[in-house]
Amino acid sequence: MAGFSRAVAAGSLPMSRRSALRLGGGVALLLAAGCAAGTKGGEQPQPSGAASGGEGGALRIAVGGYVSSWDQDFVGFDLTALMLFKNVFPYMIDYGVKDVGGAQILDTESIAPTFAESFEPDADNKVWTLKLRKGVKFASGNEMTAADVKWSKDRAFAAKANVAGVYRLIGLTEADQVKVVDDYTVEFHQAFPSALTWQIQAISLYVFDSAEAKKHATDADPWAKEWFAKNPPTGGYFEVSKAVQGQEIELSANTGYPGQDPARLSTIRLTVVSAAATQRLQLEAGDVDIALGMSRRDVADLKDAQGIKVISAPSNNQVAIQMSVATAPFDDVKVRQALACAVPYEQIISNVYGGDARPAKSLVPLDMPGYAETGYPYAYDLDRAKALLAEAGKPSISSELVFEADNAEQQQIAVLVQSEARKAGIELKLVPLDPATLGERREKKSIPLQLTAGQLWVNDVEYMLGTSFTKGANLNYSNYVNDEIEKIFEQSHTTVEEAERLKLWARVQEILAADVPWAIICQPNFTLPVREEVAGWVQPMDGLARLRYLTKA
Amino acid sequence: MRIARFTARRLLQAVPVLLGVVVVTFVLVRVLPGDPIRTILGPNATEADAAAARARYGLDQPMWQQFVDYLGGLFTGDLGVSIQSGQSVMGEMAVRLGPTLELVVIAVTIATVLATVLGIWSARRAGRAGDHTLRVLALVGNSLPEFWLGLVLILVVYSGLGWVPAPSGRVDPDTNLSLITGADLLDAVLTGNGPAFASAAGHLVLPVATMVVVIVAPLMRSVRASALEVLGSEAYRAAAAHGLPERTLLRGYLARAALVRLPALAALVFGFAIGSTVLVEYVFSWQGFGQWALRGLLFRDYPVVQASVVVIALCYTLIFLIADVVHAVLDPRVRI
Repeated sequence: MAGFSRAVAAGSLPMSRRSALRLGGGVALLLAAGCAAGTKGGEQPQPSGAASGGEGGALRIAVGGYVSSWDQDFVGFDLTALMLFKNVFPYMIDYGVKDVGGAQILDTESIAPTFAESFEPDADNKVWTLKLRKGVKFASGNEMTAADVKWSKDRAFAAKANVAGVYRLIGLTEADQVKVVDDYTVEFHQAFPSALTWQIQAISLYVFDSAEAKKHATDADPWAKEWFAKNPPTGGYFEVSKAVQGQEIELSANTGYPGQDPARLSTIRLTVVSAAATQRLQLEAGDVDIALGMSRRDVADLKDAQGIKVISAPSNNQVAIQMSVATAPFDDVKVRQALACAVPYEQIISNVYGGDARPAKSLVPLDMPGYAETGYPYAYDLDRAKALLAEAGKPSISSELVFEADNAEQQQIAVLVQSEARKAGIELKLVPLDPATLGERREKKSIPLQLTAGQLWVNDVEYMLGTSFTKGANLNYSNYVNDEIEKIFEQSHTTVEEAERLKLWARVQEILAADVPWAIICQPNFTLPVREEVAGWVQPMDGLARLRYLTKA
Repeated sequence: MRIARFTARRLLQAVPVLLGVVVVTFVLVRVLPGDPIRTILGPNATEADAAAARARYGLDQPMWQQFVDYLGGLFTGDLGVSIQSGQSVMGEMAVRLGPTLELVVIAVTIATVLATVLGIWSARRAGRAGDHTLRVLALVGNSLPEFWLGLVLILVVYSGLGWVPAPSGRVDPDTNLSLITGADLLDAVLTGNGPAFASAAGHLVLPVATMVVVIVAPLMRSVRASALEVLGSEAYRAAAAHGLPERTLLRGYLARAALVRLPALAALVFGFAIGSTVLVEYVFSWQGFGQWALRGLLFRDYPVVQASVVVIALCYTLIFLIADVVHAVLDPRVRI
């Protein structure tokens, strides 16, 4: 035994040591080689795009993560992926652009055909006819036809996910309601006329290359889910010309785009840079041109940085505290009003957003048609908060205030609210939750008080009510139910006349002002740090950037 | 032959351990609060949509049925489908594991070599200025959070000095490196892609340096302590008293004996390093296994969490097996 061991040891020890040293030396050399490769003669690193030769005009955008899936019908809530889909899928219609205070934003009241030739309703606003342009092709060379639209919508209904969910709002619930008329014409037969059709179709009417998809469909996977999860769609404003898993996606302008407004840049690269601090350093070094995902503090610091400008555009992103009207003590409207008076609105706008946010005076967002300043008659007033609590017979109350873990902005707001609310007699326990736990508790509607932030995909009060203020609505974390609001929501489905709708929205805001299910804090502007050479940013009202407008000097 | 038998026996012993890990992980991830389905549904989803999504991922089945399906899949190499991405977990893991293992293997190898050289050097100068300096430096390195250290290195070496490429990704996409193992350096060698090799090596510098600084201290302390024991032993003192040459003393008496404890500790450090890559991968946009597993845990992506825990357990099992074999090779008193 000993002999065996010794013999092996005698033979192996020097070998192991030498091997180890060789390996260590080898790795050191590799690293040295890497250093040399990275230094480019000891100078400051050049932007990689410029260094790659012939690609100097490529725009580089840093994003926080790689797409989790290329299949829009089945993807989870992945903002990078959803933004990419807007640019690589052929969407038949899309928003126009308008100027607001010197900033370009998407105009949700002006929607026009892009890949389609036309999209128009009949006299009753129930049957909408989509006419396709002839000769529009996917990257495969297949022509886009009515069969592709039909297959795409059948797939969306079968998925029972994103598109099927929003289609319900305009009376589309069955695949049979989408009918092929001829090779270039498709009809959408809605169960009722809806003023939301334009906006709902703007976010839903994307088309797959069905001929290509069918090649990869199987009996077990008739909708080619497996293939689409891994392979980018084609035919949009941009084609995915290269995708390096986890690292970079290269977009090339689709030269076959048939409309009036093609992509300005020929090449855009989306590079994954997870850490916000690293994004900042790369932006400063010129290795990326746009940083999508930096913290507000970093963005504020960059305002005076050389070679960088910070775009600030008004947004419909709302920051609010949702109060559960079904849970004590917030089941008492006086308590909800007291909390609304204990929120330090101006302090939050100043300290958390550096002044780059608009105070909100209604639960309807500022740039949504129908917004009225009377919709939220509450301001920071601790004496009034104390008086309201006294009226409610609850001079001191306590509750948890839930917010997203790993969200510095919400944490700052929570601390400020906790500090001021305490002065009014409201003791708040701050509870950060991870996404899955937060999702579960929201589903159970078991959170008495929570911070929320987000913007709606459809800029309309009917959509807002359907998602946030009606019985069973998914985003109605307040458990808010009001019979009159329910009736107005029902009525709005078939009210197409703009003036009539505005009257409904005025009444909605009066009710919400009295019931105060949310303490609406503010609407932060969207801020984006970019290199000075970058222009053409259009602020998306649905949060999904249209890259076709971007230019680089 | 004896080593082969030992290895086979240990691998067999690992089966019940891994089975235990499978059961515990399967149960624990479901006991944790959080609903994976709600994180993938849009704002207009109804209960019916949620039910359809649950059925799509088999979550509508009773727990025992889910476990049987999962176990059956394990034996056929099917780890399920990610709830977040809808892609095969095996496929996702294949592209995530390589980059992380490459990072960890290189970092642990460099740290082990450094710890051996510096530990013995330090022990032979015990109590002197060099020894104290080294120990303090190692302690400081060990105390630095990886996240902070990584950012400081980026700030100084990339942003300040410009010596390394931008910390985004693992290799320049323009080198058109073909994916084989997911370990970019290895893939560059296998495909004979020189520019990709240089680029991958350049991208590795800072993350590897970050990990080496953090993990070298415990290894060095172990080697130093062992070396001090050997230096004080009768055998060593007798050999030195007999006037054996310095080189013979170092190689024949000190180094081998001092390294006896190292394999087990290196194995532990390897496991720790796999865990600590989460932050390093985040800072350097590495898109590796750690970030994938963490995202899976945050969103309660059951198949991803289950697969990543089993793989980590498997890594631990294999690395400790290797450590035991190396230990036996280094120390004749150990019988396997």
